[in-house]
Amino acid sequence: MKKSLVLLISLIFVAASLLAACGTGGNASKPGNDGQQTAGNGEGNGKTNNEPFEITIRHTQVGESKKFRLGLLEDVVKKTEAAVPGLKIKLDGVDGEVNRKERLRGEMAAGKPPEVFDVMGSPDAELYAKEGLMLDLTPILDELGLTDKFTTLVPFTHGGKIYGIPIGGSIEGYFYNKEYFEQKGYQIPKTLTELEALAEKIKAEGKFPFAQASKDAWIPLMTTNNLWSYYAGPEITYGFKTGESKWTDENIVKAVAKHQEWVQKGYFKKGELGFEYADMRNQVITGEAIMMMDGSWANSVFRDPEQAGNMVGKIGFFNMPPVHAGDPVVVMQDANNGYGFSSAVAKDSRKLQAVKEFIRHMWTEEMQLRGLKEDGVLPAMKMDLNQMKTVSDDPLMQDIFKATSEIGTSFPAFDALVQAEVNTSLSTGIQQVISGEIDPAKMLANLQAVQDAANQAAQ
Amino acid sequence: MRTFKKTIPHIFLMGYLLVILYPFLFVLFSSVKTNNQEIASNPFGLPVSVTFNNYVNAWVNAKINTYFFNSLYIGVLAACISILLAAMLSFAITRMRYNRISKIVFQLILIGMLIPNNALLLPIYGMMSKLGVLDTHMALLLPYVANAIPFTVIILAAFMRSLPGEIEEAAVMDGLSSAGLFGKIIIPITIPAIVTVFIINFLGNWNEFLLANYFLSSDTLKTLPVGMVGFRDAYNTNYAQMSAGIVFSVLPVIVIYAVLQKKIIEGVTAGSVKG
Amino acid sequence: MNKALRNPLVYILFVLPAFILFIAFFIYPILTAVNNSLTSWNGISKTMSYIGMDNYATAVQDKIFWKSARNNVYFILFSCLVQVPAIVFFSLLIANVRKLKNLYKTAVFLPSIMSTAVIGILWGFIYNPDFGLMNEFLGLFGIQPIYWLSDRNWAMIAILITNAWQWTGFYIVMVLAAILSIPRELDEAAAIDGASGIQRAFKITLPLIMPIISVVVMLSIAGAMKAADIVLVMTKGGPAGSTDVMATYMIRYAITSFKHGFGNAIAVLIFVFTMVITVLYQFLIVRRTERIEY
Repeated sequence: MKKSLVLLISLIFVAASLLAACGTGGNASKPGNDGQQTAGNGEGNGKTNNEPFEITIRHTQVGESKKFRLGLLEDVVKKTEAAVPGLKIKLDGVDGEVNRKERLRGEMAAGKPPEVFDVMGSPDAELYAKEGLMLDLTPILDELGLTDKFTTLVPFTHGGKIYGIPIGGSIEGYFYNKEYFEQKGYQIPKTLTELEALAEKIKAEGKFPFAQASKDAWIPLMTTNNLWSYYAGPEITYGFKTGESKWTDENIVKAVAKHQEWVQKGYFKKGELGFEYADMRNQVITGEAIMMMDGSWANSVFRDPEQAGNMVGKIGFFNMPPVHAGDPVVVMQDANNGYGFSSAVAKDSRKLQAVKEFIRHMWTEEMQLRGLKEDGVLPAMKMDLNQMKTVSDDPLMQDIFKATSEIGTSFPAFDALVQAEVNTSLSTGIQQVISGEIDPAKMLANLQAVQDAANQAAQ
Repeated sequence: MRTFKKTIPHIFLMGYLLVILYPFLFVLFSSVKTNNQEIASNPFGLPVSVTFNNYVNAWVNAKINTYFFNSLYIGVLAACISILLAAMLSFAITRMRYNRISKIVFQLILIGMLIPNNALLLPIYGMMSKLGVLDTHMALLLPYVANAIPFTVIILAAFMRSLPGEIEEAAVMDGLSSAGLFGKIIIPITIPAIVTVFIINFLGNWNEFLLANYFLSSDTLKTLPVGMVGFRDAYNTNYAQMSAGIVFSVLPVIVIYAVLQKKIIEGVTAGSVKG
Repeated sequence: MNKALRNPLVYILFVLPAFILFIAFFIYPILTAVNNSLTSWNGISKTMSYIGMDNYATAVQDKIFWKSARNNVYFILFSCLVQVPAIVFFSLLIANVRKLKNLYKTAVFLPSIMSTAVIGILWGFIYNPDFGLMNEFLGLFGIQPIYWLSDRNWAMIAILITNAWQWTGFYIVMVLAAILSIPRELDEAAAIDGASGIQRAFKITLPLIMPIISVVVMLSIAGAMKAADIVLVMTKGGPAGSTDVMATYMIRYAITSFKHGFGNAIAVLIFVFTMVITVLYQFLIVRRTERIEY
């Protein structure tokens, strides 16, 4: 009995190690073959290995408002599957916030992210990359000739290596009620002073100059971030992490104080601290508020009759104007959201092949323009402005293109440049400033303390 | 005077009922209104005309039907299993003669009530991942069964402890083993308490969001609360359809409660006071 | 007799399945949390470095943490001082009416069957400053609109009201059951002796239902300490963190900032605080009145 058991176990061992040897042998030969000639990779595989295999793509295109984006992804999936024999792609859709804060983190902690996943470039991708969980895309992008094709890859570049690819870009600026401007004969403001004068007039006419919804702090922070980038210069945000600049800088204090002043002058609807993002857009749609600071992605709402009703076609867009007339326009422009890939892919040449094909089909001029046309998402890849203009003749999109062309200096959103806890602290801080319970200087002093602690912990 | 005295409690109770039911009426009214404009212009008023399109749309388009049956079967199955396991444990620690161990087990389980285990998702996620059950209904059944155990044990143990010892003496005289005693005598007597615990457990499972959202990703496996939130995100502009979805999520529990409520009252009574 | 009830195999078979699940889903996670709370783990890394009690020190020294703990205390106070009396009051009323008793019994339970996510949407409407039910109602008395969810002076109260709306009926059903189980003879005898309804409620019913009230208080405390989802759906802890409770503090300051060790320290603190309060309650109040088998 015992003897036969031992025999059985050793048989299993032998069989297992034989199988393993075959497996590694097979795998080892492939990189050897395609080491010099990558183009041959696909065909070589096609002949030797057509067994079905599966990769999972974690995306966040769930819900009615993202159906175009999902359609685009599905088309890319089809093309990728056709290009790689045996490949079956599983689409796994999860709400964006849940994916970012819970699901992906859980998977990363377990060391098993999906092969392809939606990810924020900074700070998320950086952290995952540090743990060796993300695939280094630098050679793949070089091979596909994509490295220089993007407006920016900075949020996804850590330690000189590229770990993700942005899906689209965005700028932040003011959406405004064009019809109202025309009726009153208002011009697009050229300076911050003009913007304020405009706000004062609109307020006097019984409307709210700006829509804002501060339940989620990132919404008012769009305004704050753009303000301080004018007052203190956009470079200042890069220095917080290194300690070169401080939140207590008098120009930042001035910017935050300006935002608070607008609140106190009644430029925003009272009670907006409890409003959701959708409420802010509704204020513009109902005509209650005239201007709204938001990301360019919001254009899809104002172009959809189901959401914007009869406001479709009556909304325009302009950049936040500089302090002095003629100064360069400074605008937040980034591309922080995109796809990353599991480092485990590198161990399986067929999966690597699938990822390569996915990238090849996803980041093309055609797809970028399609995203722009259907969904109003600015391309992440460098593109000729005139070409963009031909794709979408929608007046709001034309406004956004124009605003993009006016940008003198662009900067990434602050949350891509500071530690997560600094973002948390500023988020609470700006709500405190809005509610008037704290003055800007004190809030920024608190923030600097958090920044110092975070910087120290990083060392 | 006498009738006046009798109406005073009704005045208070009707007031309370109004507070409770008004929001429900809001949902009900909204669910048969045609569009947002009608809701926004007169949010808490009667609908002008009645349309049931929202129900059809919610049921079919938003896959509420799939979510509904997933929730129903997971909720019922998990509640039943946790009651069975908890009843066995309660029986063993209250009726069997191992007092010292039983006391320790019971104390541990009491402490369990206080553990904020929702805050400790990561270890549970890791466990599910190792078991390879993520994105299957097993990933919900296991934690749902486990999460209900402390509360169920507390109620059932209190109930069983209150049973007179003569019952089992007679049964054992008749030659029943302890397992037989449990199945043939104790369980039938405990039914009222079991019904109570069942509805409470079922309710917890029916409404559970965190784990369901975290552990499942396939659309066909999702449960109703997750579906509802997805529904809200997808149709966040369509309050009428959302209200219809809410009605679907509430209705079955109302039915179950209405059917079982008499037993519940008996159950809680027996479980808590006699102990 | 003893033999049948002292069968070790049966005992083990009966205890183990539930107990194993209990260990796996309660004890193991809390022990893991205790271990992680001593590290600076970011929630992802394969390695963790132990930093002793630093996380606890950080939490205890953070004013914002204590502010959120204070909101948990408000939860408990509101449950014990407002909700529990209301629960007892309405239970007594329902127990003593003849007509419509079943309607009341069914209706009070309704709010507790709604999921918290749905309740968040619903009460968002009710608290809407412009057209919400709450302000319209208060407007009848000439009260100016209140910015319920955006005014830090009102946001916590708004959450507590919603929470009470959700759970009061659930507890009423429990208390009601206890009242209805009191033998009729006791009450009738007192009535014959000439005791008024109110006297009978205080002298006979209340003492008899004290155990279940204790259970309700204990469940409320445990619930109040763990509360998170009602806050998340109503205000997300805002405005400016003024409605953060310990659990949402943990999410905001630890989990989203990749400070998993710190987050686990908060979880352990929540557990310890709950234990302390429960034990205190048992010793100070329950001991003096009546021991319950809770």
